[in-house]
Amino acid sequence: MKRIFCRVEKCLGCKTCELACAIEHSESKRLVEAMQESVVPTRRIRVELVDDKGALTRHRTLALQCRYCENPVCVQACISGAIRRDEETGEVRINADTCVGCWSCIMVCPFGGLIRHEGIHRVVKCDHCPDRQTPACVEACPTHALVFTERDGTEPGSFLL
Amino acid sequence: MNLLIVGNSAAGTAAIEAIRRHDGQSSIVQISDEPHSLYSRCLLSYYLAGTIPLDALQYRERDFHTTMRVQLHAGKRAVELDPSRQEVRCDDGKVYPFDKLLIATGSSAKLPENLPTGIEGICVLRTIDDVEMIRKKVKHARNAVVLGGGLIGMKAACALRECGLETKVVVRSNRVLSQMIDEEASQILIERLRQNGIDVLKETDVAGIRTRENALVGVRTDQGQDFPCELLIVAKGVHPNIELIQGTDIKKRWGIETNPHMQTSCGNIFAAGDVAETFDIATGEYAINALWTCAVQQGQIAGLNMIGRTTVYDGTVGMNSLDICNTPVISYGITSPKETSQYQMLVRDRRGSNVYKKIILEDHRIKGIILIGRIDNAGVLLSLLRRQADVSAFEDELLDDQFDFGRLVGHGDPSVIAQY
Repeated sequence: MKRIFCRVEKCLGCKTCELACAIEHSESKRLVEAMQESVVPTRRIRVELVDDKGALTRHRTLALQCRYCENPVCVQACISGAIRRDEETGEVRINADTCVGCWSCIMVCPFGGLIRHEGIHRVVKCDHCPDRQTPACVEACPTHALVFTERDGTEPGSFLL
Repeated sequence: MNLLIVGNSAAGTAAIEAIRRHDGQSSIVQISDEPHSLYSRCLLSYYLAGTIPLDALQYRERDFHTTMRVQLHAGKRAVELDPSRQEVRCDDGKVYPFDKLLIATGSSAKLPENLPTGIEGICVLRTIDDVEMIRKKVKHARNAVVLGGGLIGMKAACALRECGLETKVVVRSNRVLSQMIDEEASQILIERLRQNGIDVLKETDVAGIRTRENALVGVRTDQGQDFPCELLIVAKGVHPNIELIQGTDIKKRWGIETNPHMQTSCGNIFAAGDVAETFDIATGEYAINALWTCAVQQGQIAGLNMIGRTTVYDGTVGMNSLDICNTPVISYGITSPKETSQYQMLVRDRRGSNVYKKIILEDHRIKGIILIGRIDNAGVLLSLLRRQADVSAFEDELLDDQFDFGRLVGHGDPSVIAQY
């Protein structure tokens, strides 16, 4: 299946992806309206600092989201069955109607891929933007650090190095 | 192959899913003493509070057992196990043969000996039947007491308050969630509970009850206080349901002993969930961790090994997650050690904003974690605990809110990079 990868050497840490993600997951899908919505839209991707060598140009950053694990620990931990993996497509989805906000998935995810949405008291995560062909973060990334691709034989971790 | 599973909750269900992922051939028979179809015990307090409807307790599709081709016998109790003949006998006299057996019988609520039985209004919160009884009572009750400040006690108290009852929690120790957090963290939560109308009485026990026509009307504490109370929920922990192995040679201590394949001392019999003792990574000892996530993981491992797909369980970590009055709480492992000399504590205390974090280290390895208020990267810390990684290179960063997966990549942790 296709997943989103971040090529660390190209990531500027500009957070354009975070903004695009939050807008895509708003009601209106437009920035100005999204900011007025009663439930503040939340991003499902996070720019994380990989290392900080002092000088601005030496910072390395990583835009990270759900990794769509093959045997996801979040699915194991979910007490309500809200998080499920589609065995055929490999997609891991959250049913917002049945999530009770117990945070068990956050307790176990080794990537920090699940995000506590305080406004709706539910967990949210990357859904690969089902309304779009290419996820909003990937499309918005100004340096093409983010790619939406099959792994295509690349070694695990190679995007990070 | 004939696979037999006793128990129909987290571990049994996870075993079925793991088996059917690889094996469509073997016959699976499942026996459960509860007459209901599959449901999630952890959701009972949400149903009690009225946040979810009854049918939301079913955490898998209604036709789960049909699609998984499992012959479910609900409402009968497995009472006798004969390991040499490879048979289980049920309370209706029926005998079920097996090639491989999984004991996933779970646990039951402990009841204090000083409380009389058969009194209307004294309940536990363990099954659908329990919660239906409580719901009936809640309609007419005004005051409730929860005995015990553990996970179930906390969830029950919050649910009863949500139902509009005057709610008190009576705990014998000096804190709530004593298995999960330390005293400082407990103070934050007790204050949050108080702000939401739930009183916590520390270092107190229920010493007696008052009844009228066999129904509860009040409790008396060992501190001499009298409270009106029509509903008493007893949440004093659970004990494993190991009756099925009585009279067999299968080894047990507190629970059924298992090896890393979730096998009991009898090779074709497996155990998983609240009934099983497993290796605890944080303490380095074998123990029962009666927790949903652990039960699911153990059930998966047991299921795979039952069908010959050799899989090793690296062990459990005691872990809990809950939300008390919009304050998230997650903890792992050893959180308040009795002997503190060998441990090193990292603490970040921002109590004013309901944030408290603590990490317990031994020899630069994480043994326990408490997170209150800020839980975003909890699982990243768990991954370090699980691997017993040496964290000396970044100990001073561990409590930062920004300590995340990216930082582990930055520290060049090869096992982390390989996961991406």
